[in-house]
Amino acid sequence: MIAKMKLASDSGQLDVSWAPDREKSSGVAASVRGISKRFKKAKVLEDVSFDVAEGESLVLLGASGSGKTTILRIIAGLEQPDSGYVILHGKDVTDLPARERGVGVIFQSYALFPRMTVEKNIGYGLKIRHRPRKERRETVDRLIELVQLEKHRKKYPWQLSGGQQQRVAIARTLAYKPQVLLFDEPFGALDAQTRVHLRREIRALLRQVRVPSVFITHDQEEALELGDRIAVLNDGHLEQIGTPDEVYNHPETEFVATFLGAANLLLGVATQGTVEIGTAKLPAEKETRRFREGQSVKLVFRPEDVCISKDANLPEGCRRLTNGVIQEVDFVGAYQRLTVRLDLTHRQQPEDEAPLYQVTINTPERMTGVPIMVTRPKPEANALRYKTGDRVAIGLTSFSVLPNYTLVKNR
Amino acid sequence: MKLPAIRHVRGFDVARPLSIGAMLGIMLPLVLLPLLSIFIFGTSKGLGVFWSSLVAPEAVFALKLSIVTSFWATAFNVLFGLFAAYVLSRYDFWGRNAVIVTISLPTAIPTAVAGFSLLLLWGKYGMIGRYFSEDQQIMFTPFAIILANIFVTFPLAFGVIKPVFDTMSRSLEEASATIGATRWQTFWHVTLPSLRGAIVSGALLTFARAVGEFGSTILVSGNLAGRTQTAPFISLRNSTKAKSKRQMRSPSCWLCSHS
Repeated sequence: MIAKMKLASDSGQLDVSWAPDREKSSGVAASVRGISKRFKKAKVLEDVSFDVAEGESLVLLGASGSGKTTILRIIAGLEQPDSGYVILHGKDVTDLPARERGVGVIFQSYALFPRMTVEKNIGYGLKIRHRPRKERRETVDRLIELVQLEKHRKKYPWQLSGGQQQRVAIARTLAYKPQVLLFDEPFGALDAQTRVHLRREIRALLRQVRVPSVFITHDQEEALELGDRIAVLNDGHLEQIGTPDEVYNHPETEFVATFLGAANLLLGVATQGTVEIGTAKLPAEKETRRFREGQSVKLVFRPEDVCISKDANLPEGCRRLTNGVIQEVDFVGAYQRLTVRLDLTHRQQPEDEAPLYQVTINTPERMTGVPIMVTRPKPEANALRYKTGDRVAIGLTSFSVLPNYTLVKNR
Repeated sequence: MKLPAIRHVRGFDVARPLSIGAMLGIMLPLVLLPLLSIFIFGTSKGLGVFWSSLVAPEAVFALKLSIVTSFWATAFNVLFGLFAAYVLSRYDFWGRNAVIVTISLPTAIPTAVAGFSLLLLWGKYGMIGRYFSEDQQIMFTPFAIILANIFVTFPLAFGVIKPVFDTMSRSLEEASATIGATRWQTFWHVTLPSLRGAIVSGALLTFARAVGEFGSTILVSGNLAGRTQTAPFISLRNSTKAKSKRQMRSPSCWLCSHS
């Protein structure tokens, strides 16, 4: 919704002529309701529901085999769900064949028609709709200009680069004003550099045409950049759906936390407004409120949310967890990566005691403690260097507390 | 002991002329010389004789009949071959593989046996033919020749078209469907253009094979000169009766050169 409002406020200076002519409708462009699907014995989708708002771009993120492609094919009408509904602009299209749904699919292979030139590919949707020649030509001209392929209009698909082919594929679907655009791993076949470049281009293009779109990807970076919202799929069910900020910073499940970016995971118990992990106690009044006393929980936090310090003075907003020892220091390009072993077996320091007095782990003879991953930005890493064996105090700026169901059926 | 590499002797790739030479050397007695001998033999008494035997009424009729029957067999094979390939690669059903094998079976059957089987079915006393009245009999008419041609050459057309269907990306047809095309529009605008090459080569193969078809035609055509005698039989009759060798030459030359 946030993104939608942002788009609406931007639209003053943008050409919105490609938006479908139903701006006044409820605001939900596409809606998937309780979709389930099996292939033979294997369950592919289980009760998946989500909405795509007008002008919004939603990313379905999941590993291969998570069922994301199947959802896309079901929305497009290329696959039938076993149960559930697909609703496009308020109309139930579950039983309509693909050609009557008016959706645009951008296939991973682009699926351009090999015996047609660029302009014929783009004009195909209007041709089979028997639109007058003049209208067809004008539309094709405008779209070719929109995707900046003026020099290539007479070429055949095999004469174009991957990025150009993809732009043709997008223009081909925009020609008939689709209700929703569906992108099936749109950048899968491209090299890393083109991928980043093209994804910005498409983002800008979508802002311009304001057609609601659904992307499919397994690339988290892509998801964070392309999506107004991200839906994380795991093994056929929806784990979490929200803005990139929500899913990244407030993951609701362990899967989301670990699939989207790196995450450290510690098992503990919720007691008296803290998360107790071994002898360490992390103050978490707000985060533990929804758990009952003594309930088993998972503490999930990102490597960049860990703050460390050689004395007990952790920066403002950083909640003290425990002490630890630096085990490894790696430099990984843009940031520094540390492996730190946490001391979770010794008693917590009393306030007046010298902060690092009790650390006994990680002697050459004994390597104990729980390893976690910590990353620090380059300026910070340069300003204050750590080396293997340094004893540090460890705190967290941000973390999530999740219920620890050991059995999936308790979910 | 290490053998010296024979590729690239002073920058010259020995493998290239050697392989080309070997290929031509093997082809020579097997393919090239037999073809050449027909031409030499056919034109040994001069081009004039060659021409006159080519335009002899019987020969002209036989050639025409061959071409016409082959044309219809080709037309049918391409159309039905397309249809069968479409059905067999797009729909999965029980016994599909059995059908695919069955279609290719006629290539393994001696063509004379193929002709005989047609006789057993359509002949005057055949399984179906017996229910036809005297003047409805199709054996020993040009139709019989077309039937025999279809029977023998269908696997060729099918065999060329089917693999192209199989390897063609489904997403092209799916893209066309999502754009809004009906099945027929998709087939006409998207599928068919991609099959152009396969259709042309399938048609050429079928036609070439049908024009020269002998074994099955001899059984079903009746070989009636001026009525159902096709080009290959002119050659055969003339050579077996040995009345005039020259008569057989032209049609066979023609048959060779056209294919």
